[in-house]
Amino acid sequence: MLCCRGAQRLHHDLDEDFRAAAVACLDGLYGFALALSRDRGAAEDLVQETYVRALAARRRASPGENLRGWLFTILRNIWKNERRRRRPEAVDDVDSIATAPGVADPETALDRRELRERLSQALDGLPGPFREVVMLRCVLGFSYQEVAGIVGCPAGTVMSRLARARAQLRRSLDATNGAGPGGSA
Amino acid sequence: MSGCDAFRRLVSAYLDGELVDEDRAAFEAHVRECEACRSSLEDERRVVQAVQRSLPLHQTPAGLRDRVDRLLAAPLERARPAGWGTPLVVAASLVALALAGVALLQRSSAAPPRVASAFAAVAADSHLRHARGQLPLEVRSEAPAEVSAFFAGRVPFHLTLPDYPVDPGARKPYHLVGGRLVAFQDDYMAFVAYRMDDRPISLLVTSEDRVRPAGGSEVASGGLTFHFESVSGLKVITWSDKGLTYALVSDLAVTGSRSCIVCHGSDEERRKIEGL
Repeated sequence: MLCCRGAQRLHHDLDEDFRAAAVACLDGLYGFALALSRDRGAAEDLVQETYVRALAARRRASPGENLRGWLFTILRNIWKNERRRRRPEAVDDVDSIATAPGVADPETALDRRELRERLSQALDGLPGPFREVVMLRCVLGFSYQEVAGIVGCPAGTVMSRLARARAQLRRSLDATNGAGPGGSA
Repeated sequence: MSGCDAFRRLVSAYLDGELVDEDRAAFEAHVRECEACRSSLEDERRVVQAVQRSLPLHQTPAGLRDRVDRLLAAPLERARPAGWGTPLVVAASLVALALAGVALLQRSSAAPPRVASAFAAVAADSHLRHARGQLPLEVRSEAPAEVSAFFAGRVPFHLTLPDYPVDPGARKPYHLVGGRLVAFQDDYMAFVAYRMDDRPISLLVTSEDRVRPAGGSEVASGGLTFHFESVSGLKVITWSDKGLTYALVSDLAVTGSRSCIVCHGSDEERRKIEGL
């Protein structure tokens, strides 16, 4: 058993670990909030509320390996509940999106800034369920299982949404690169 | 063409490193032979690379960063919630299931690739990270009572790890190493580490109302349903009993039945698994 002083020191160390991990997640949380809300003000509110709730729930236990995933789950739940409260759930019809044959190289002769702008536009054009898995996996680097835990769907669904989202991204990037959908390099 | 359809669906998983072992080998073998699938792979690879080259996409506004810094600077509270449930020792019926499990885990290399259940995957991932030294234990002890006490109040359920006496001079077949918390969704689970023949075995425990076992091959026995999966080259057995859900993980060097000894080490129960 820890003596009282030892327990205090352990708690202090855990607090510092939690703070360091929480700060490290800030940019990713903001990007994810932007992807969900597509509104800077709403994204800032989402992130701030996420930290408020995480700190309130923090009392339950020490930080674990998946603290990052936990924070993203909190943010998504806040967004989902807020969205439901404001208006009836508007479900993006991901099944209605057609797949298309392979098209041109999306990154030919582009500098990074231009590519970033085009990619942001292409991401904005994705349905919500596609946009969030692309952000979580491709931008933030979560594993399929972690994405499944955050989004609340089977990992197989994550995989299929990613495949279709990337196909749509490729078409969007090709379209803004001068080649129409279905065109070639 | 149906074969190509199955492989096309795995392009994302392949590029993201989510296919392992025989699944990955089967995919690569097909792509080497199939020009159309190779083309699909390269198309999607270019999108992945384009995303990677455009990062970071966003910068956090300074005002938000300041507000978060102020929030995190405040002292953290650390009240403990009350636990619930009754003390539990893992049910002995798992032993009989190990027999079937050993056979079920012998996957054919021709079997279609599968995506593991989220809970089994987290259990396997935690096992691997711990084995690599990336998931340090928060309590290290061979005493089940001490490790059980660590979890009291830290997880929203009551967990009592079993212990069995060993005859004088006899060698205990397994050793409890310790435990730690592992986050999943918005709560914590109990991760318990053991060693057997110098190989790691782990047990991940959470409440049944939070996670219900799913996926893999199901075997019903003793009123319980066990799910057997092969995840990242590991054997994972998941089941629920008395309000808790478990995942037992071992590597290929430990048979599924032997891993059950961590909870079935008494003389009577060990006789049930001899010869497996």
